[in-house]
Amino acid sequence: MPKSGRDGGAPKDSKYDLSKISARVDRVNVSGLLRTHNDYVMRAADGLFKANNFQDLMLEAMSTKSYLHELGIFKDVSVHIDVSRGTDASPQGYEVTFKGNEMSRMMGSAGTEIGQNEGSLRTELTIPNILGRGESISLQGSYSSTRANDLQLKFWKPFFHTRFKENRPEMSFSIFRQTDRYDISSFKSTNLGYLVDFSAHTMVGVDLTHSLQYENSIRDVGLLNKSVPFGIREHCGPKLASLLRYSVVYDNRDGNVFPTRGVFLKSVNEYCGLGGNVAYTSSTAHGELNVPLFAGLVAQFCGRVGVVKETKNTTQLPINSLFYCGGPLTLRGFKFGGAGPVIDGTPIGAQTFWCTGAHLWAPLPFAGVFKNLASHFRMHFFYNIGNSNSFSTENMRSAFGMGLAVKLAERARIELNYCVPVRRQNTDNILNGFQFGIGYEFV
Amino acid sequence: MTSQYLSQLHTADKLAAEPWPEDATLYQPYEAEQILLPENASCLAVKAYLKMCNLPFGIRSCANAEHMSPGGRMTKLPFIRAGAFIFAEFEPIVNFVEQKDLAIGNWQDEDEKADMRTYVSLVENIFTMAELYISFKNERVYKEVTAPRNGVVFPWPLNHMQNYGKRRNALRLLKVYQWDDLDIDSVIEKVAKCCETLEYKLKESPETPFFYGDQPCELDAIAFGHLFSILTTTLPNMALAQTVQKFKHLVEFCRFVDEKYFQTRCLPN
Repeated sequence: MPKSGRDGGAPKDSKYDLSKISARVDRVNVSGLLRTHNDYVMRAADGLFKANNFQDLMLEAMSTKSYLHELGIFKDVSVHIDVSRGTDASPQGYEVTFKGNEMSRMMGSAGTEIGQNEGSLRTELTIPNILGRGESISLQGSYSSTRANDLQLKFWKPFFHTRFKENRPEMSFSIFRQTDRYDISSFKSTNLGYLVDFSAHTMVGVDLTHSLQYENSIRDVGLLNKSVPFGIREHCGPKLASLLRYSVVYDNRDGNVFPTRGVFLKSVNEYCGLGGNVAYTSSTAHGELNVPLFAGLVAQFCGRVGVVKETKNTTQLPINSLFYCGGPLTLRGFKFGGAGPVIDGTPIGAQTFWCTGAHLWAPLPFAGVFKNLASHFRMHFFYNIGNSNSFSTENMRSAFGMGLAVKLAERARIELNYCVPVRRQNTDNILNGFQFGIGYEFV
Repeated sequence: MTSQYLSQLHTADKLAAEPWPEDATLYQPYEAEQILLPENASCLAVKAYLKMCNLPFGIRSCANAEHMSPGGRMTKLPFIRAGAFIFAEFEPIVNFVEQKDLAIGNWQDEDEKADMRTYVSLVENIFTMAELYISFKNERVYKEVTAPRNGVVFPWPLNHMQNYGKRRNALRLLKVYQWDDLDIDSVIEKVAKCCETLEYKLKESPETPFFYGDQPCELDAIAFGHLFSILTTTLPNMALAQTVQKFKHLVEFCRFVDEKYFQTRCLPN
């Protein structure tokens, strides 16, 4: 099926110009609905009925297929297009049938995750489409050698079948328990709470993905060893945080991991202090610009900036909301959190930070020989500049180097770089040599 | 574990070498709104001890004092920050002071010291358990005093969760010391017995104000801390205070120590 879709999309290559063949969709069938309510897939056909030539019909059929996938009720969907028969069939009439195979009542998965110097086992149990309109529940747990067990129970409901179909609105509610270890500062934060999330797309001028969250959680700061500077010890104990988080994403890149062109912008803003006894505002912005050069080379410029500020009600800025600058995801050539302020020799997070990176990405030499495999690898040269608690370029930190990056499952990137720190401060923890990094968002 | 032993020795050396830091600070919960009876008793005992040693220290009240504490056997409070060192509870703090040769009670010989340590341990165990018992096991005291005071620094619903956790820990501690299945009368009996022993000890040297003669020692500090707290804390159930009040010499001792070191003068005549 995808083949015919591609043919339709490139009419110049084919013998016949499909856009000149008129067509009209008489009927659209969606079969395979066992638990799902009919009205949930009703809007799938909206676009198909508007098609008036065969090429449009093909394209619409493909987008309907992906829409049906997005509804989260089918394991797989196949498309059948046939001329329509019967008494009320029109002359150029077609009948489109989507044969779906519903997901089973319960789905489980298990896998491993790699984090900062640790491995963890992740299991997930999902009950999709419980009430027949895409409502699902999932229970996710991860267990690791160094971390406490993380748990998340999530309920979500898409509203893709409403008249806001184009906006892809979705609501979710999750209860979570999660432990973040800040080994470098010798403390950990155990968060227990719930999160309500509403996300949608808007297409006014530019495509944006919005997400508005409300989180209410108990954040318990504990120490990881005995000799901890008093400035960190002062933060111990549980606190109740109640916060609103708004994030917006603009992404027109042609790939998530190794894009060749396009811009990615993301901004996350938090306001904490709607009740509870933690108060702060936090904003981070991340940007990425990719420019294709010649011979498969891509120039990439990244930047990230973050600010945590006190509000009127702040008595003490929470230590677990501060920013750590340094490490393979921000400033390469420094240890994680190694390019920030220290108290009594122990690094702690900074209230503000910025870092930028310039990359030159190149495909591997001889990439043509192993095309499939080589598409997962890239080489890069980078130059990182950044600083903590200061927006001036004096006393900033910088490093350069080169390395190899691997794509992992279209989302994550693994990097192995040789880094040379250029400018540093006396208290910094640098890493001159090979550095390993894994993550989703790099600078 | 040679290395551990060596590092302990090393720490002890360092401790002895440095003088008492000027900025030594004692951390405790808020006295007026938050502190509970067992915590108040141990904080008062430490304060009395440091005053008896004539060591300068500041007091800082903070809501999360218990969570900041490096831990301990019973209440985890108070803890003291002296230079780079942090010690929690009466005994470790006393040991720390003794390593610096600043402690009172250096005039005592080994036998007397061992004897006194027995009393200290008896007083600490019996009174702390009795205070925990009345605070957490007595339903009325728990509902009207312990829970509201312990939860006062936390917003709802965190206060309930913290109260639950604190009570569970207290009951576990009572169980470890096998106090959990006692009724209030047996608790009173144990406290009365302990008071009797103390009063007997005090009467051994009737003309001197302290347990061991003219000069104070650890026992004076810890006995004062517990007795004074019990006597001056108003609870819906005053059984402990009434028991202690029967021992006139002990009450008199508390009044004397308070007058000499604290001057709060809140003991009823």
